[in-house]
Amino acid sequence: MSFWRLFKRNRSAVLGLVILLLIVFMAATAHLFFPEDPFRLVGKSMSPPGENGFLLGSDSLGRDVASGIAHGAKTSLLIGLMATFVAVGFGTIMGGLAGYYGGRIDDLLMRVTEMFQTIPSFIFAILLVAIMKPSIESIVIAIAVVSWPAVARLVRGEFLSLKTREFVQACHTLGMSDIRIIMGEILPNCLSPIIVIGSLMVATAILIESGLAFLGLGDPNIMSWGFQIGAGRTLLRSAWWVCTFPGIAILITVLAINLVGEGLNDALNPRLRERT
Amino acid sequence: MNIRKWIGGALAAATMVAGATAARAEGGTLVMLVQPEPPSLASYLSTSGPIGLMAPKIYEGLLDYDSDLQAVPSLAKSYDVSDDGKTVTFNLQKGVKWHDGEPFTSEDVKFTVLELLSKIHPRGPNSFREVESIDIPDAHTAIFNLKNPAPYMLRALSGYESPIVPKHLLEGEDYRSADLVNNPVGTGPFKFVEWKKGQYIRLDKNEDYWKEGLPKLDRIVGRFIPDASTRTAAMENGEVHYGAYGAIPNIDAVRLREMDSIGVTTDGYGMINPMSLIEFDTTEPPFDDARVRKAVSLAIDRQFLIDNIWFGYGKPATSALSSNFGATGLHDAKAANYPADQNVEAAKKLLKEAGAEDISITLDLIPYGEDWRRAGEYMKQALGDIGIKVDLRYEDVPTWLKRIYADYDFDMNVNYFYQLPDPVLGVHRHYGTDQIRQGTHFVNSSRYSNPKLDALLVKGAQEPDAKKRAAIYSDVQKILGADKPVANLFEMNFLTVFDSSLKDHDTSALGAYGSFDQAYFDK
Repeated sequence: MSFWRLFKRNRSAVLGLVILLLIVFMAATAHLFFPEDPFRLVGKSMSPPGENGFLLGSDSLGRDVASGIAHGAKTSLLIGLMATFVAVGFGTIMGGLAGYYGGRIDDLLMRVTEMFQTIPSFIFAILLVAIMKPSIESIVIAIAVVSWPAVARLVRGEFLSLKTREFVQACHTLGMSDIRIIMGEILPNCLSPIIVIGSLMVATAILIESGLAFLGLGDPNIMSWGFQIGAGRTLLRSAWWVCTFPGIAILITVLAINLVGEGLNDALNPRLRERT
Repeated sequence: MNIRKWIGGALAAATMVAGATAARAEGGTLVMLVQPEPPSLASYLSTSGPIGLMAPKIYEGLLDYDSDLQAVPSLAKSYDVSDDGKTVTFNLQKGVKWHDGEPFTSEDVKFTVLELLSKIHPRGPNSFREVESIDIPDAHTAIFNLKNPAPYMLRALSGYESPIVPKHLLEGEDYRSADLVNNPVGTGPFKFVEWKKGQYIRLDKNEDYWKEGLPKLDRIVGRFIPDASTRTAAMENGEVHYGAYGAIPNIDAVRLREMDSIGVTTDGYGMINPMSLIEFDTTEPPFDDARVRKAVSLAIDRQFLIDNIWFGYGKPATSALSSNFGATGLHDAKAANYPADQNVEAAKKLLKEAGAEDISITLDLIPYGEDWRRAGEYMKQALGDIGIKVDLRYEDVPTWLKRIYADYDFDMNVNYFYQLPDPVLGVHRHYGTDQIRQGTHFVNSSRYSNPKLDALLVKGAQEPDAKKRAAIYSDVQKILGADKPVANLFEMNFLTVFDSSLKDHDTSALGAYGSFDQAYFDK
């Protein structure tokens, strides 16, 4: 349990983890506390928080903001995780191949990566979603497409340094196949930075999704925090609660994920282990 | 920290321009919002909204219309319609000069109508479809010879809809790229002076205007401010005096309405008659069955849309025609077979009869802003209640136009149409079989075709007698109410927000699309 011991030394990381678990709990139980569709018009429109039975108020159509936040948590986390999973998976393959084989393959793959890196990521994401029709799949794809190059570069660096180590050389001498060396020897050894970058990427993915939804490029059939903010933006001066609470939800979630990511970094990265 | 003040300050700094914020002395400068920046000032080529805001101050039509939609003289002093309705004689004003000093004559009228309006104007070919020839016995008389009576034509002669342009500056030129496109020369109360791209268009008083003592204003500046909240802030602190056609969003207008210095009106849209509606694909299930279309119409609480999304501005539709046609007797309140209230039970019953329970459809939304998305979200819920599962689709404008009007790849589509001052001009294009024009925007995308209705539409267009015409349109409304190839939702009310010291900006039925020759500041 040395990992947990290391992790809990960082108090803020533990706090982040607790908050994150609460958010996951909220997402998982959304349908129990708010069994109605979050788009459902359930009462008087633009009720302030606490009035007409709305804990966090209602929006311009009479939809429950609290229900939207609970159901939106599911969307945000789901998109964050799926996009990260795709981005990390693809980035690891690209970076791993480039780093392990080097030479021409490295050149080719890294030029491709750089091409993606030179395009401003949010603008690129907007473009991708606008070309494909806005839906949950296209948003996940767009976020993954703009996020993978960072992973690829990181993994490539790790592979470059690991492949010259003695234990890898030893594997070569034993006649192990490339795929076995990559999967069984090198990859497990660079897992910790991948986990750290992945955890932070979830936060970025949530932010990108919110930004897209805010600009009206979200999936119109799915409740999300960015959608709530975008829909409430015009009401800011007459009904502040419509976009304030989802905004706070995004803030807390992203903060919690970053704290956890930081904690993971401390616990998994031996070189920084003695950092205070 | 006072953010509003700060925005205002930044704006003020940005507007030290052409005296745009000049003090309101006698005469004075009117600053109006023009949103978005117009593509040109050629109102004879395009009916685009922002062109309509500026060009009618420069160009005039043969007639104008007062706030009761009655024709009043403009470039034509008077007109006579022959008994058979096939000859219309216009007696033109004498002594009218173009802004470049050339005299205005009947040659200009003939050229404009025959060469421009009935050929390249978007709606002109329809308005002037019956014009066979124009005789000009002298410089101040124009006689329109018609193939059939065309009473609706006399409602389409305003400076906005049918501007008269100078023949001597266009003849022999390419009409679409002539200098006149961006450098207009008209007969109107204001002369074009300057167009600073991205900032403003400036018009100055026409000192030689033919109407005695007019215009009262010295200058009109049309400003382009892309961001809605900045527009509101500019209106709030008096940087601009006038904003129409939703330049100030409804949510802000209801707040500004409370201020003494600002007025809000829904007048000035009587010639436009905007109607929001749902277009159905009537060629394919489930909407090939009129009962399913009616069920949808019954399931929607129109008043809810008006109250919660458009902040109380609007009026539920009662038939295929806007109730504004009541003034000409064409709107038939008895044929009003549109539901006054939502009726979920009746809707469910209709769906059951049609055997269309548990259906899934896609609802396309007009991509003109957040209001329409909210409307779509509401309809998704309302139709869910009667067992129709709805997926919403919101695309960019060109993709949406192509989907609805070229590919016909849709189930139902929320949209709005201008019904204009006469059904022939604005309503026929929705329903006529001859209006199934693949690739042309804002026509019969439902592909509804009913020979009986087509015959009525032809009769309605040609009937000069008001009573008989009303009877024809009563039948039209009955058929359309029963078939509902298009379900009208509500008559939209655009809002004009203005500085309350600005007077007589609304003397014309055209409102913001009027000439503003009588507008003045009372201070």
